[in-house]
Amino acid sequence: MSAMPALLAVIHSVGLLTCFALLGTSRIGACIRFLSIQGILFSLVPVIAHDDGLTLRVLLLAGANIGLKGVIFPAVLLHLRTRAGFHREVEPFVGFVASILFGVVALIVSLTLARELHPALSHAPFVMLQAAIFLVAIGLFLIVSRRNALIQIVGYLVIENGIFVLGAITVVETPLLVELGILLDAFVAVFVMGIAVFHISREFGMADVDRLNTLRG
Amino acid sequence: MAPGYAIDALLFVAVVGALACLVAQPRPVLAMAIAVSAVELGLAASLWVAVLAKGPATAEDELFFVDAFSAFHLVVLGLVFLLCSLFARIYFADDGEHGLTKSAARRFGALWLGSLAAMVLVLVSNNLGVMWVGMEATTLLTAFLISLHPNRLSLEAMWKYLLICSVGIAFAFIGTIFAAASVQGGLGADALLWTRLAAPETQFDPTLMTFAFVFVLVGYGTKAGLAPIHSWLPDAHSQAPAPVSAMFSGFLLNTALYCILRYVPLVRHALGNGFADHLLVFFGTLSILVAAGFIVFQRDAKRLLAYHSVEHLGIIALGYGLGPLGTFAALFHTLNHSICKALAFFAVGRLGQRFGSHDMHVLSGAVRLTPLWGFALLVSILALIGVAPFSIFMSEYQLLRAAVGAGAWLVLTLFLFASSVVFISALRHLIDMSFGDPKGALPFRDGTGAIAAVAVSTGLLLLLGLWMPSWFVVALGRAAAAVGGRL
Repeated sequence: MSAMPALLAVIHSVGLLTCFALLGTSRIGACIRFLSIQGILFSLVPVIAHDDGLTLRVLLLAGANIGLKGVIFPAVLLHLRTRAGFHREVEPFVGFVASILFGVVALIVSLTLARELHPALSHAPFVMLQAAIFLVAIGLFLIVSRRNALIQIVGYLVIENGIFVLGAITVVETPLLVELGILLDAFVAVFVMGIAVFHISREFGMADVDRLNTLRG
Repeated sequence: MAPGYAIDALLFVAVVGALACLVAQPRPVLAMAIAVSAVELGLAASLWVAVLAKGPATAEDELFFVDAFSAFHLVVLGLVFLLCSLFARIYFADDGEHGLTKSAARRFGALWLGSLAAMVLVLVSNNLGVMWVGMEATTLLTAFLISLHPNRLSLEAMWKYLLICSVGIAFAFIGTIFAAASVQGGLGADALLWTRLAAPETQFDPTLMTFAFVFVLVGYGTKAGLAPIHSWLPDAHSQAPAPVSAMFSGFLLNTALYCILRYVPLVRHALGNGFADHLLVFFGTLSILVAAGFIVFQRDAKRLLAYHSVEHLGIIALGYGLGPLGTFAALFHTLNHSICKALAFFAVGRLGQRFGSHDMHVLSGAVRLTPLWGFALLVSILALIGVAPFSIFMSEYQLLRAAVGAGAWLVLTLFLFASSVVFISALRHLIDMSFGDPKGALPFRDGTGAIAAVAVSTGLLLLLGLWMPSWFVVALGRAAAAVGGRL
């Protein structure tokens, strides 16, 4: 398995680039495509990081994950975008340049945190541990810093990717049932959020969540 | 029935009921919700009796596990759903904007019983991963219950709920992963089974367990409405139809707290006493204080009740952090709060329906307008703020004793301060709402279902305040022992 570290390094660097691309782009279509690339890339992690040979189970889960995060979710999101007719994140709460700066800070923080955690998780590849923390941070940031509901869903799915990586490298054996349950939950979550966005865009005329600010106190 | 079958039946009945609602007519849907909840309550009670007599039960190859702690929660769940389903029939029978179209009735029934099934799954699963799946399912199923009558406000509340809770639950999953990874010596595929994790011989990595508990607490804490991560709660509670708010407040929040409590024995085992308890006490006290602040300035009756939920969930969390005696009080408080809050939402919901508003300046003279719901409002809010002889007074008193016993003087002072603030401000609102002059609404009466729901809730609150049967004390003690050590 000498190719393993090299392959993981490739996934790691391309994966991080997709995060920065997400932070820097205003076009929703592009965001969804970056998310799709990211989903496919990180779905490969369990296949590569599995050191005791490939089982059918691992391949099956990776395949299901690629299908969902690489194809189905992006298709649902793109469909929603067309249906609701919005194409750009016009004025995010945090500007695009500042967002990329946040990405740099998150990168440094995630490296520090991963170094802190790595001794306790010595069998996990360091780069992937760092990537997982970074993905969660970026996903959270996208949710709080963007006005468009679709990009908030993208943020949620970036967090999901981070959790998927974390699960794949830290927990060696989880029952198939649990993993399938988790995938199913993500699947339903995207549909529920999609329907919600559809209702919101119909009621409000657009899916900018800063219009959703009547309830407070 | 053997306990194992009762566990399977609990899930089966709820799922079948949910599916049947998809094809039923509007009126049978609401009757079916009542019937299914009643069956669930019966099954839960039989399971509780069996667990108390013969010890914890398992089913399906240890995938499901019910001990005194989860059996108690199952009974509260059944009771809350039964009361809320009874009320839903009254609430939705009202014509106009609160009525149900055919598709809305089906949607309500399926989601209502579906979320019941998801909560049962949370309470009976032995696998922490499956428990998480159930919790996430409750978020997804209940989201559209909030916007059952879609309008701008309810959609806004629903979107906040969906997004904030999904992210919270994602954090809880990170905690679950860390907890499984913290097991040393490798349990293999059993690393998520609670019974294996809680076994005395299991060893944990302390660093990972610390991370795990922080993520679990923040993650499930979001769903439980602990401050400062409660921001979705007042919106969702105020915009959802009243039966849904009652169910949210009466049990959904407790389900999330239940998940946190499953981790507490593991954390105590890995890190010694203290860490988990201090965090619970901190978040509990903070919730009580934050809620008290918002209650003072509240104008909307449903939001007032929502902040009361933050306060009472804080009280329960605080109790769990105060040792065995506190855990006992917290469990007792769970039951009391669930009944009382359901009753309060029934009253406010029904009155709001007739007044067309939940503004407390508009809701006025409830007792004169409708003796039944006026009485319910009066009793439930008096009980909520801790007036004797209702049972919430008793559980809060036990909690105070636990705090004294633990020597937590600062917490005790803060708790008493916040309680008196809540007491004074809620009482001021209550007097107007109950005895003021009725404005712009006509007197009305509701039928036997309403009387039954009010009578059962008030009766239980009063009875448990005056008299705790000895078997009940034993049952609560067993439940407390399952997660918090023995008395």
